[in-house]
This record gives sequence, structure tokens and C-alpha cells, in this order.
Amino acid sequence: MLKRLLLIRGAEIVVLVLLAAIPLMVSNSYVLGLLTLLAIYGILLIGLDVTVGYLGQVNLAHAAFLGLGAYAAGLSVSLLGFGMLSALAVSMLVGLILGGLLAFPALRLEGPQFALATLSFSALSTTVLNEWEGLTGGAQGLHVSRPIFWGHSVNAQGFYWLCLIFLALVWLAMRNLLSSQWGRAFEALRDSPIATDAMGVGTYRHKVAGFAMGSALGSLAGGLYAFNFQYLQPQSFVYELMVILLLGVVLGGRKSLWGAFFGASLVALLPNLLSNRLLFEVISALGLLAALLAGVRGLMKKTTQPFQAIAPILAMGLLVVGSMFVKNTEDWRKAIFALMLFSVVVGLPEGLMGFAARFLTQLFRIDPPSLPPAAILDTVLPAKSPDGGPLLELHDLKRYFGGVKAVDGVSITVHSGHIHGLIGPNGSGKSTAVNVISGLYAPSAGEMLLHGKALPSGMFNVARTGISRTFQNLQLFSELSALDNVMVAMKGVYCAPLPLVLMGLARGEEKRAQSDALALLELVRLKHHARISAKDLTYGDQRFLEIARALARKPELLILDEPAAGLALPDVHKLVEMIWRIHERGVTIILIEHHMDVVSELCDVVTVLDGGRVIAEGSAEEVKRDPRVIKAYLGTVDEATSAKITN
Amino acid sequence: MDFIIIAQMVVSGALMGLVYALIAYGFQLTFSTSKSINFGQGELVMLSAFFSLTLLDWGAPFWLMVPGGLLFGVVLGLAVERAGLRLALEQKSEGWILLTIIIGLLGFSAAENIWGRDDRPFPTPISSDAMQFFGVSITPLEISVAIGVFSLMGLIELFKRKTLLGKAFEAVSADRDAAELMGISATRTVMLSYGLSGLVAAMAGILVSPITTVGPTMASALILKAFSVAVVAGLDSGFGVVVVGIFLGALESLTSFYLGSGWREAPGLILLILALAVRPNGVFGKATIRKV
Repeated sequence: MLKRLLLIRGAEIVVLVLLAAIPLMVSNSYVLGLLTLLAIYGILLIGLDVTVGYLGQVNLAHAAFLGLGAYAAGLSVSLLGFGMLSALAVSMLVGLILGGLLAFPALRLEGPQFALATLSFSALSTTVLNEWEGLTGGAQGLHVSRPIFWGHSVNAQGFYWLCLIFLALVWLAMRNLLSSQWGRAFEALRDSPIATDAMGVGTYRHKVAGFAMGSALGSLAGGLYAFNFQYLQPQSFVYELMVILLLGVVLGGRKSLWGAFFGASLVALLPNLLSNRLLFEVISALGLLAALLAGVRGLMKKTTQPFQAIAPILAMGLLVVGSMFVKNTEDWRKAIFALMLFSVVVGLPEGLMGFAARFLTQLFRIDPPSLPPAAILDTVLPAKSPDGGPLLELHDLKRYFGGVKAVDGVSITVHSGHIHGLIGPNGSGKSTAVNVISGLYAPSAGEMLLHGKALPSGMFNVARTGISRTFQNLQLFSELSALDNVMVAMKGVYCAPLPLVLMGLARGEEKRAQSDALALLELVRLKHHARISAKDLTYGDQRFLEIARALARKPELLILDEPAAGLALPDVHKLVEMIWRIHERGVTIILIEHHMDVVSELCDVVTVLDGGRVIAEGSAEEVKRDPRVIKAYLGTVDEATSAKITN
Repeated sequence: MDFIIIAQMVVSGALMGLVYALIAYGFQLTFSTSKSINFGQGELVMLSAFFSLTLLDWGAPFWLMVPGGLLFGVVLGLAVERAGLRLALEQKSEGWILLTIIIGLLGFSAAENIWGRDDRPFPTPISSDAMQFFGVSITPLEISVAIGVFSLMGLIELFKRKTLLGKAFEAVSADRDAAELMGISATRTVMLSYGLSGLVAAMAGILVSPITTVGPTMASALILKAFSVAVVAGLDSGFGVVVVGIFLGALESLTSFYLGSGWREAPGLILLILALAVRPNGVFGKATIRKV
């Protein structure tokens, strides 16, 4: 624990002190300019990493936010006479507001559509900066004077230190944020938006908040950029810069503050790299060597696909060969960036820092931080004594898809404390009914009452009323650990407001969430796998993890959608025992299942659906003897045949 | 008089809009088979146009230049698929977004250095003498754009409906897994769609260049509008792109007339963001149902 603290925090402090001390040792305005740029790009890339790394979306608007922030700072100085800090605050605010506004339409979008929305925003803001000549000076550019800072004028060296302080503050705040519930929610969102909503975490506000905060950092960097260069042009913030910024984040390594820092150094140094011929040749040769080594090693060990090994070698080879023939490397800068970025994206998708982090943790044997002891289950999931009254009532519920009547007038009453079985042949409407109850689909008609009150619409809102569910097709947050999967859904623990989280004053609730989550993992027999990422668990364990995650919502009503599907027999026994234990705590359960033995053993009441309608209801034994149920499952037997069979 | 000017603006804008529609149609071709689009499609248009111009410079006759340029587009489309798409699609990741952007940038830089940064005229045997229709002047060149766009789109639609290969294309669009189980190679079909979309891009380049001239910057100018058309219309409606393309082209030409040419791209971009916000599947698109 101590070693971990010493190494990781120590490295941060050493680098910060070194960076701060360089201007005292070397008085060179060129070096100082580079360092300032490094600090500014550091802030910029940390902001970009929120969307690209944590939310996992290709964000093409970040260069635009840099530009908007720069103009906002510059104009608030020249037009409004603001000081440095207030001008920077204006920058951040502009980024926060515009980022939030853009996030609203971009909210529902994934992948290519998100990239397109950000791309058009980016083009639109360049147009506005270019054309609103009265304000921005258009293509002529805008001169910005560096304002006073608390009554003092700031020289280049002082400004560098100021940028460094901002970088350190941003670093601390983002580390606190990203290691909190917020960071987990961002990643959960990336892996499964549906489950994020179903677990009551909310895709909506996290996506907006993440994007707005990232953009605010971009604009803050823009403000510093304006005061550093003191001259702004719309052309500086276009597409090409965006590609370079993405190169920085991807090459440095996603989801990593150090990665953003390395990426920033690279972005700051690139122009110099291109202007020095020898340096460029050396670096491209080194790149080719690295691609060759990694590619050959990957091919020998068969850990990479042939394309992944060969394409970077070809791209770097092209760079080396090109560097011999091309007269002026500056002319080819875009192609050079493209080839480098291509090699990295294909050959080293985790980036330098992802690679180094794996290597370093092995080298120094840094253990992950130790976990607190598991809480007592009674405090996490207090045992309730249900009164047996009606909990969930469905009245004539209907859901049609075009002409398909998936659920066609279903009325069911689930009593509290019961395990209520829902069975029926395939296509009988069980899953659709559950999807309607949990808010994924809006009902076409009918009423749904919980405690006599109508259910709200939308998964997120339903999840907040105390209904929690698992999914027939697993919807785990696959990149998160088992523990994080449960923690992200934990209800009633996270109350600290955002500012406290940013300042790192919310660690207490983090510990509590951890021990509560461990208790739930113990309930499903997964405590020893707490640190393993969900995608690496066995199939049975993944099903159990979904149950633990659903329990983290501390539900009144738990809906298990075919929890035994595909389980091996020993796992089925574990599952049955698990459901008993959950039942003992007074949680009402709706169990959709095909295994009749499981249903018979567990359920107090069983409802049978066929063709979207209820055909029978009663105890498992009653239902099994019901002729309509037998008909639905096995079809009818006419008398002649049945006589033959009995003879 | 004022009305004539507006009508003139609308007509010439709409004819330009058909080119955007054609490029957007190229997005639809690849989106239907693989749910991916080439973010560097504009560069494909530009590179094919430059290549065709070089063919003319070498003394190739016009009738030979057209198939040559189209073939070049097909080759580029296939190259993009191989280098940028295939691995990402196999891994079911969205890495292709970044990779196609990168490949586009490479193409842009290559064009800048091979053919220069300046815009160059693109000679054509088709006359650009205006003809008058009710006071609105249209050139045969502009008409050739409309003919080219409609005939190519019609041919491809015919191919999709009438040939076995085209049916395979439709099958993969409808359900990739089911098509694979029926013995259709989805990988080859995606290749085919990228080849076709390269062909479409090259055609757009050859059609538009005589009107706008050829230069590296034509890529970004065209691609943003094509994106707008594709998104506003929806990525699965061939009819929709034509309607939206005509509408957007006309709107753009009116905007640049009334607000100044610097703003010409603004309405398309705003429409794009609005369409994504209000109807992410496009005005003519079908809504999809989330399944769990």
C-alpha cells in the first residue's frame, strides 16, 4: 500500500518539480515556450480523454472548443477589460455551456453519428469565427494582450508557472473525478448504455456532464493558449489540429492522465521534430524498428492478427522510405501524422502508457489498493417482512410491434414477498412483458401500478422506483471489474456533490460502496473474483454477477430474466440456493424461466403466457396439470392417437 | 425580377445538391452492409478527380478518362476497406471511424504534394453555354450532372435488385448473420459495397469538377454537405438523399446569396445537428427497436 502510494504519487511530484525547475536552470525563451505549450496541451488532452477514453466516442469538436475558449478569453479581456482569472473563468463557462448544449443533441448518438455531430459543430464554429468579423476580426485574426493577474503583470516565466499550476489542479481534480462513481459511470455507459439506465445510473446526465466537463477543460486550455500566443486566427483550430490531438490521446494512451501528458509532450514537440531532418529520420527509423519488433514478436507468439502486425510495419516503412526522398518534410506533415497515427491505432491500440503501465506494474510488483472487509449483509440488504399485499399490478397490458401483438392484454398481480414465476413457450411474450415493466418499451395500452401508483416511463425512472432486473442476453459492463460492476449500481451510498468529489473529499463513501459491494458479491459467491473484469468471468459467474448488480439497487422487486439459461447443472443448484437467500431477505421476485424444476421448487405462484395472453395461473403443480398449458407446450393430441398411445 | 433570381439560385443549387446526394448515396451503400461509413470519402472524390485530370493531361480521350477515373475510385474504395475497415469490423469496434479519418488525411496530403495546392480547371467537351427556360438559365453541363447522378444511382439500384450478387448485397444488409449462414461471404459483400462507394465517389468527382474546378480543398467542402444530406435523409433511404440533396443544395445557394458565401455551409451543418437531435434515423429513415 505504502509502496504504491510512494511510487505513483512520488512520480507525479518529481515530474511536477522538475517541470517547474527547468526555467530556473535554463534561461531560454524557446524552451520556455515549448514547456508552456506542453502544460496547455496537457490540460487540453486530459479534457479530450474524457470523451475519447472514458466515454469511448470519437470526439471531433475538441479543437473547436480550444478555439472558442481562446476567443472567449481574448474578447473578455479586450471588450470587457477582465483580468486573467475571470477571463479564464469565462472561457471555461463558454466550454461548459456550449459543450452541454452540443451534448444534448449528441446525447442519443453513438459512434459514427456522434462523430458526425461533433464534426459539424467544429465546422460550424470555424465558420462563425471566420465570418463574424465585427467581433472576431475574421480571417485577419485577433490580437490579445495578456491581462494582469491579481494586479500584477505576468512575464513569460510567471505565465508558464501559472499554466503548470492549472495543469496540476486539473490533474488532481480529474484523478478524483475519474476514480469516483462518475468515472465508473462513464465507463459503464461506454460498455452498455441500456444497463446503465436499467441500473438507475442515468446515461443522460453522465454523458452530458462528461462531455461538458471535457469541453470546459478544452476551453480553459484555449484561454491559456490565447494569453500565450496573444494572437488568434480561426484557421488555427481546424480539422488538422483535431487529428493531431487525437494522435496525442491515442499514442499517449487512453483513460490515463499520464497518457494525456505524454501525448501532450508529443503534440508540443511534433513541429520541431518535423523541422529537424536528422531527428525526423532517427525517429521514423526507431518507429519502424519498434513496429518490426512488435510485429514479428506478435506473429511468432500468435497474439496479434497478421494485419495488426504487418500494417504498422508497412506504414512506418513508408515513412522511412518517404523521408529519404522527400525534399521538405513540412509539406508532408499531414501524411506523416497520418502514417504515425495509423501505426499506433492499428498496432498499439492501448497506447504507450497502457503498454508502459502493464510493464511497470509487473516490474515494481505494485498490488492494486487493498479492499476493505465486506460489510454485513444485513446492513446492505436489510431483511424486510413483506405483508403479502399486491405490489405490482398489470391491468390489460398491451405492446404491439406493428402487427405483431407481442403482449396482448396481460393482467397479473404480483404479491409482495412472493417468487412469481412467469413461464410460457418461446415467443409467448415473457421478455417483452418484462421489457415493458422495466421501461425499455412503452406499453401500447394498459396500466402498470407499483404500490397502487402508476409506473413512470423510461428505464432510468423505473429503476429509481425500486424495480431492478437482469437481462436474458447479458448486459454487463464488460471492461469493469466485478466489484466495479456492482459498485456502479449501488444505491443510497453516493451523495457527495460534484465539487467535493473533484476535491477528493468523497473517499469515505467510496470505501463504503466497496464493502457493501463485496457483501453482495459474497452473496452470489463471487467475492474472490472481485478484481477480475466482467468479460473474463465464466458464463455462469457472469449471470450471478448480474444478479449481484441488480441487488445493488436494493430493489423491492427483482426481475430475473431467464437466469438459468445455459447454466451447467451445478450452477443451477447454486442459483436456486441464491434465489432462496434473496427471497429470505424479503425481496419480491419475478422469475422468468424455462427450467420447470427450478420454477416448481421456487415459485409461490406461476403465470403462464401464450401468444401474448395469460392462459393459466396458480401454483406450479396446478399449472402443470392445466390442459391449456399442456396444449401450449406440446400441442393437442386427438383421441384416436391418444388411444393408440395408451394401448 | 427578384423571383427569377431566386428561381435561378434554387435551380443551380439543386443541381449541385444532386452531387451531394450522389456522395451521400455512397455512404448508404457501405452503411447498409457494414454499419460503417468512410469519413475520408471526400478525399476519394478529390483523388479520383485529380487522377482523371491527369489521364486527360496524358492525352487520354474523354470517353476513356471516365472509366479510368471510375476504376481508380473503385481501387481506392477497396484500399480503404482493407486498411481501415476490415480489422475493426472483425473486432466489432468503432476504430474504423478514426482509421478512415486518418486514411483521408493521408490522401489529402498526397494530393497536396502530387498535384499542388491550387485549384485547377477540369476540361470537358460538354458545353457550358446557358440555355434559357422561363428566364432561368441552365447549362448542358449542369444537365449532364443530373443525368450522370440519376443514371448511376439507377444502375446500382438495378444491380442490387436484378443480379444474384446484388441480392447477396441486399441479404447482408438485411441480416448479416443469416446471410453468412446461407453461404454468402459478408466480408466480400462489404468489399463490394466499398468498391461501389468508391465508384460513386469517383463519378461525383468527374461530374462536379468541370463546374467547380479541382483542388485538395474540394474534399472537405463536399464531404460536410454529403454528411448533412445522408444524416438528414437517413442512412437507408436512396429516395431520401435525392430529395434532401436537392433541398439542401437550393438552401445553400440561397444562403450564400443572402448572407454571403462564407455562411453557405452553415444551414447544412445546423440541419445535420438538428436532424441528429430530433430524428437520429433521418427524415426518411426507419426507427429501429432496441433489443435486449
